[in-house]
Amino acid sequence: MTEDDVKTLDPYVQWIVAEARRPVSVDDAARHRLLEALRAEPQPTRRRLDWLVEPRRFVLPPLATAALAAGLVGIGVISGLLINRDGQQADQRPADVADTPRLPGSIASRAVKFVLIAPQAARVAVVGDFNGWDVSASPMTTQGKDGTWTIFLPLHPGLHTYSFVLDGTHFMPDPAAPLAPDDGYGRQSSVVLVGGSSL
Amino acid sequence: MSMTRRVMAVLILSAVAAAAAWAQDISPASGGRELDPLGRLSEGSRYQIELLLDSARVAGLPTAPLESKALEGISKRVDGRRIVAAVRMVFRSLRDARSVLGAAATPDELNAAASALRVGVTRAELAHLTQMRREKSVTIPLVVLSDLITRGVPRDTASQTILQLWQRGAADDDFLGLWRGVERDIVSGTDPGVALLNRAREVPPRAPSSQPEAGSRPEGTENRNS
Repeated sequence: MTEDDVKTLDPYVQWIVAEARRPVSVDDAARHRLLEALRAEPQPTRRRLDWLVEPRRFVLPPLATAALAAGLVGIGVISGLLINRDGQQADQRPADVADTPRLPGSIASRAVKFVLIAPQAARVAVVGDFNGWDVSASPMTTQGKDGTWTIFLPLHPGLHTYSFVLDGTHFMPDPAAPLAPDDGYGRQSSVVLVGGSSL
Repeated sequence: MSMTRRVMAVLILSAVAAAAAWAQDISPASGGRELDPLGRLSEGSRYQIELLLDSARVAGLPTAPLESKALEGISKRVDGRRIVAAVRMVFRSLRDARSVLGAAATPDELNAAASALRVGVTRAELAHLTQMRREKSVTIPLVVLSDLITRGVPRDTASQTILQLWQRGAADDDFLGLWRGVERDIVSGTDPGVALLNRAREVPPRAPSSQPEAGSRPEGTENRNS
């Protein structure tokens, strides 16, 4: 508040402002006694773990911050690889696969490998009751130029119906698995039995 | 809070959220599923499918095959009326399968039996197979039977051959080996029915765990594969 502002105030308020601004004179002897008394107070002891909770100020450059975030993502990804949603460790043995004619009815593992040889396809996915028939849920990958597309999927034990989807639109059954009946959609599917519950 | 701290907090929260979401997605049967996948159906179609699902629950039937059939139709971009018809057909076949297999049947057995009924296996044939199950699951024999009929093996031939093998104590591996051989022969150009009869002769006889019940053997299966 400037002096001009003060002049516009009520005279009584101006008096209060003036009083508040008036410096307080302190006797030198009194100040000396106060300081001596403060010095005589026992120093607070520094506990061993206080440094853990003391506020600190630190600055991270953006690059270091990004590296830290990447590290956290890595920890999450590795944890996700080792532990699935059920809190169980993923079986390390992929074992039987859906690309073999034998239905994996007696396997203990729930990891099922789907294989399709489709050299002309640009994209291949597997859809079925295990992923809600979502074309974008389980894209298969290919390595090399032989057109062999594969994917490992962890499946619950039981009978599953599935199909391959080429280039997002063309559905085809697995040529290496038994067929499920065509129920009016005009395109057949395949079945795979993942062992455990029913056999 | 300094800008650096704000940025760091946002990055850390993003990293934790991304890792958590990723970890959720790798578990079985979770990939990419929408919260309301049936929402892509019209109101009328959806209503009818919900009715079928409710009916299945009331009847104690598994609803997963019905939901799967609906989602399959949505994925294949089939119109709603055909999806409803397909789901209704699955519901009816599951109900018929339950009436034949009984309440003790597993969901997999029910599903496989329902598929067999849909490809033309009769309730009597299904009943014969069930009577001879003797603590063994009929899932694999029914899956193979449905596949053989779908591939063009005459229904009578397929049913009677599978029944006979089942009666002789054939194991799941025998049925799968049979399926593998027949499929290979059909691809090579052999008539499906002939391929099945030829391959069935290669299945080694096994001692059944116990003698079949009197009258449980279907007629006409005696000398088909010997």
